[in-house]
Amino acid sequence: MNFELSQDHKVLQSAVRDFVEKEIKPLAIKIDEDHMIPDELVKKMSEMGFLGSYLPEEYGGAGLDMLSYAIVVEEVSKACGSSGVLISAHTSLASGPIYTFGTEEQKKKWLPALNTGEKIGCFLLTEPNAGSDAGGTATTYTRDGDHFVINGSKTFITNGGYLGTGVLLASFDRSLKHKGISAFIVDLQSPGVTILKNENKMGIRGSYTTAFAFDNLRVPVENLLGQEGKGFNIAMDTLNGGRIGIASQALGIAEGAFERALAYSKERKQFDQAICEFQAIQFKLADMWTRIETSKLLTYRAACLKDAKKNYTMESAMCKMHASETATYVTKEAMQIHGGYGYIADYEVERMYRDAKITEIYEGTNEVQRVVISKLLLS
Amino acid sequence: MKLLVCIKQVPDLESRFKPDAAGVWYNETDLAFRMNEYDEYAVEQAVRLREQLGEGCELTVLSIGPDRVVEAIKKSLAMGCDNAAHIQDAAAYSKDPWQIASIISAYAKERNFDIIFTGMQSQDRGSAQVGVIVAELLGIACTTTIVNFDYDNGTITAKRELEGGIKGVVKLKTPALVTCQLGLNVPRYPTLPNIMKAKKKEITAISVAELLKEESLAATTSFHPPAKKGGGIVLEGDIADQVEKVIAILKDKTAVLR
Repeated sequence: MNFELSQDHKVLQSAVRDFVEKEIKPLAIKIDEDHMIPDELVKKMSEMGFLGSYLPEEYGGAGLDMLSYAIVVEEVSKACGSSGVLISAHTSLASGPIYTFGTEEQKKKWLPALNTGEKIGCFLLTEPNAGSDAGGTATTYTRDGDHFVINGSKTFITNGGYLGTGVLLASFDRSLKHKGISAFIVDLQSPGVTILKNENKMGIRGSYTTAFAFDNLRVPVENLLGQEGKGFNIAMDTLNGGRIGIASQALGIAEGAFERALAYSKERKQFDQAICEFQAIQFKLADMWTRIETSKLLTYRAACLKDAKKNYTMESAMCKMHASETATYVTKEAMQIHGGYGYIADYEVERMYRDAKITEIYEGTNEVQRVVISKLLLS
Repeated sequence: MKLLVCIKQVPDLESRFKPDAAGVWYNETDLAFRMNEYDEYAVEQAVRLREQLGEGCELTVLSIGPDRVVEAIKKSLAMGCDNAAHIQDAAAYSKDPWQIASIISAYAKERNFDIIFTGMQSQDRGSAQVGVIVAELLGIACTTTIVNFDYDNGTITAKRELEGGIKGVVKLKTPALVTCQLGLNVPRYPTLPNIMKAKKKEITAISVAELLKEESLAATTSFHPPAKKGGGIVLEGDIADQVEKVIAILKDKTAVLR
């Protein structure tokens, strides 16, 4: 057993880290305040290959592996959780299913623009009345000649506001529940697509979270992803992989907050000594670091299992659940270590605290993760 | 054209250094290593020249040291070097600049490089001798601490940094060696696709015993980590004075005002 990153992964980690330090970290406060990631930064991240890390080179990706992808999302999220989820949702939830379930023609048509960041990807599953219960999808489609016609609405769509390429789930017969659902690749610049709003959120404020209405959106039949009626399976497989991305995001947020708390505890003096000399602070740091390390082991392991083409359903659920709960815990403690300054935007840990919470909710709530894990334990 | 760039992997200078068991160098345990900063400028400049010259130009990166230095080599390959030589030496840290330069010149002698790039100095040993000794051993032209570089038809035009902010321009015919200073360029980030491509580039491993025939001329006999730092520099005086002092420090210690 070897818990060391390979030299290639270390080279990647250090390259990403340098980029993040210089290009993302100085913008993180502004991204939160402006509710958007500057286009220039999205372009720079695309040029770095962050948007196509594990997709093959023949489709414009970097050709690296899932572990590399996890490292990219983690390092970016150390500085900016919004930028981290942009990469995660784009790669895992749009490029991922097109690569896994698409035909050769579909991959050639859609993946290059996604991998180079020309189009930003999103995953259109959640609806106002269908979140954890994806079988309750109420967006419908009918066949009309060589097109499918989609009607309905979607909500909480990460990256939706970019109006790029989406993977959309819709039902042809709601009474069939999950068996009636199919997946489609959609160009969100098509007629019939309306943005209802980009949500105003507690955290990851730089990330678009979009509500859509679809009014007779016509999708060519060749954009059906996988077989008709198999959309639910595609969604579940996609979320499995996506959880590794969210775990990496949560891990990065936790590490970013920890770094600040550790440094601050050495600088801040009270009662004539650095506060890290107090056992109350030392124990916090020990607990925070232990949870971060366990999250990292689980997340990297899930990524390695996916790379090895082994089953990773339980591991991805565990790493997402544990890393997200670590993120909320660590950011809360980091704020506590900072005292009053922790509540001030300039010190950044309050933003990280706000950014962390969503990781317990999206890509399957942690309650759903516990269902997944316990079902597998008892099956 | 054949180009060579020589790099060293050094510890992150913000690390806490402790002497090794013999007390002559730092203990490597728990240190994070990265490419020497000045060597990054050298790699960037070499890659830019490689791009300028296009087909028919070959850029080799060389590093001496234990297995860990392959990380710095791989970064250089991802930045655009074509191939690499790893001179395997677990005891590179104990060699003096004369021996290191002898190893590099022994490697370079038969290979007839047109231009060799090195950093101005390493961030850990800081002798600033290796580049100039290599040039001397190879009998080629050399200039140091360059902050601008141009090449055209066998001639290098380099701007050098002199003391006190003064600059000078030198011209030299190839073959030549230049040592690179802060301010020469902004090194590129290795992109993910280029990190992938670098995996397929050849790294030739050569044992140091094949190249090193020289004894050391200067032995480091003891090592002293810095005393625990205080709270940095505190500037005093009225505001105008303080501003002048800050500007002087920024000019002297960083590239932001150059």
